[in-house]
Amino acid sequence: MNFSQGDSNGDAKMKRIAKAVGETAGLLRGPQRVFPLLRLLAVDRLRLTFGQHHLYSYTATKRQTSETLQSVLQWILDAQRPDGGIAAYFSLLSGYSESYPEVTGYTIPTLYDCSRLLGRQDAAAAAERATRWLLPLQMPSGAFPAGLHGAGSEASVFNTGQILQGLVCAYRETNRPDLRSAAIAAANWLANVQQPDGSWSGPEAYQGVAHSYYSMVSWALAALSEAVDDDRYGLAAERNLDWVLHHFRPSGWIDGINLRGHPNYLHFIAYILQGVLECAVLRNRKDALRAVEKPSRLLLRKFEINKFLPGAYNPDFKSHDRYACLTGNAQMSAVWLRLFQQTDDLRYLNAALKMNEMLKQVLPLRGPKGIAGGVGGSFPLWGAYQPMRYISWGCKFLADALLLEQKLTQPLEACSCA
Amino acid sequence: MRIVLLCPSPYSESSCATAVLLSRLGYVPTGALTLPSVERRTLIRKIAQWGVRDVARYAQSKIISRSRMENQLHNPYLQGLLSHGTSIFRNLHEVGSKYGFPVVICKAQNGPDSIAQLSEWSPDLMVFTGGDILRGQLLRIPRLGVINLHLGLLPEIRGMSSPEWSLLTDVPAGVTVHYIDAGIDTGPVLRRCEFPDMANCNSLDDLRNQLIAFGIEKIAEVIAAFGRGTISARAQSELNHDNQYFVIHERLKLLAAQRLQHCQNAAAAVRAHG
Repeated sequence: MNFSQGDSNGDAKMKRIAKAVGETAGLLRGPQRVFPLLRLLAVDRLRLTFGQHHLYSYTATKRQTSETLQSVLQWILDAQRPDGGIAAYFSLLSGYSESYPEVTGYTIPTLYDCSRLLGRQDAAAAAERATRWLLPLQMPSGAFPAGLHGAGSEASVFNTGQILQGLVCAYRETNRPDLRSAAIAAANWLANVQQPDGSWSGPEAYQGVAHSYYSMVSWALAALSEAVDDDRYGLAAERNLDWVLHHFRPSGWIDGINLRGHPNYLHFIAYILQGVLECAVLRNRKDALRAVEKPSRLLLRKFEINKFLPGAYNPDFKSHDRYACLTGNAQMSAVWLRLFQQTDDLRYLNAALKMNEMLKQVLPLRGPKGIAGGVGGSFPLWGAYQPMRYISWGCKFLADALLLEQKLTQPLEACSCA
Repeated sequence: MRIVLLCPSPYSESSCATAVLLSRLGYVPTGALTLPSVERRTLIRKIAQWGVRDVARYAQSKIISRSRMENQLHNPYLQGLLSHGTSIFRNLHEVGSKYGFPVVICKAQNGPDSIAQLSEWSPDLMVFTGGDILRGQLLRIPRLGVINLHLGLLPEIRGMSSPEWSLLTDVPAGVTVHYIDAGIDTGPVLRRCEFPDMANCNSLDDLRNQLIAFGIEKIAEVIAAFGRGTISARAQSELNHDNQYFVIHERLKLLAAQRLQHCQNAAAAVRAHG
């Protein structure tokens, strides 16, 4: 999830205040939302009171991964608008948001994976609707626009990269030539606006500056390179990968998130790690894999010791935050699972299993559409990251982590039983 | 030699067994400092983690074990040490009154009251049998240091759930007696012993219990060697934080149990062919 573009610090603050006021006013339009809001706030308050910040201990979780997956998938399907776009979030104050092209794009692989692993044909149908909705949004340049649907027409590197993920996956699934062409057009645009040092900055980048979490864009390029067997995109991905790796400190911290007016949320740190890790796998870059291991292990250690990862960090992973960024947690689970896959180190799997247990525990399985199966922005709900909202990209990343958990544990457990 | 035990609870069987063994060997502890059996914050945390029902069940099992099953131990391999006459030692107070050493209950092992008590006892050596993470001020009190029994081989397996991680990483099961320093299981090693009887362990709990009994013997050997002045420690050669392991998840624990079963089957096959 990226933000709309071109904010200065002051502007960003004013926009956030205006957004909060506007969202709160939504409660007047939908007074039926008051009861669920109060109930959910009370639940989180109780959890905090009795368990301090690390209450949601995995020892108490009895929820099945498959059951949770179905709930999360249902949340995503419910968030899909009739035209095919997926809402960015469900606000406890104002209800569903507009459709969000970026999230709609990179949720496509999740929907196809759900379809395959859970046998849910409706998930594949939803992926096809999402793809159909996205194609007309592509600009003549090949780029995709920033922000929520209808909010603006500025081309965005990050959103184009994220949507490219979806297009590449949809092309692999369907082999449709129009999807291949759309993906190549997006990738060509990304390659054209890439800086000589491998980064993306300028008007197409958020706040006009380069960001290390754009490694997610590199991942999409590397995936396309493999899908269409054209190394030019892979080399563009590696140019950015090298630029991002330059920002890894020996301590494990990663510079270059560069978000003015926002803290370094775990979500963005995990984006960097996911992007670099997937590029490392696709491009067989052992140096990048080693680089990802250091911060991933640091976060694993923090999580194992404290049973909690703070929502945002200062350099060198210092943090006094008392809320969790649930999306970042789900992403870290996926990073650990992928590292387990790459290294066979069971400690990654161990941490990911615990993280998934915790995430399953805070997921509301009951409630109206928009709440049941939704991943909150923060735990507690009033934490700083996407407060009072259930967010579609949180559901996407949790579904990814749970799908990967199932995929990796089934053969392991079958093998141990044999 | 003045020895003090640091214990996690007055009802800790391994603490009682260590105290008994040392006393029988002539190293009666100068004192034992223990955390209380029930602590308010721990209780609240457990209720939050397990729920009221599970905490009640746990408490009930403890009460029943004390009242109805007088002669049953959680760890049967400590029976030999904890039996006296027709009954068994149930807590440190009973061991202390039998062998004549004081047992003091503290709120926190690093707290000022504990530090004052330990300074008054002025030990040469402290034996840690469980409790808090020890801080520098406490570690500096005994002349020779604080020693700990770790249920895994150091430096390969540091941290928690060592027997299970040993099985999962193909490191031999074993115990290490080592000095405690500022890190987690990073202090110099006094004795490191592979466990020779894996084939006779029928479950992970059984393996853990046998390792505890095996390890208590090793602690006694180390203390006897201290008494003779014939022991020296060696720094852990592969100081690498990557060797730290954390509490194992239940699903991986099942995998470790399968590996243990495999070890047993392999040993049985060898016996059958031998």
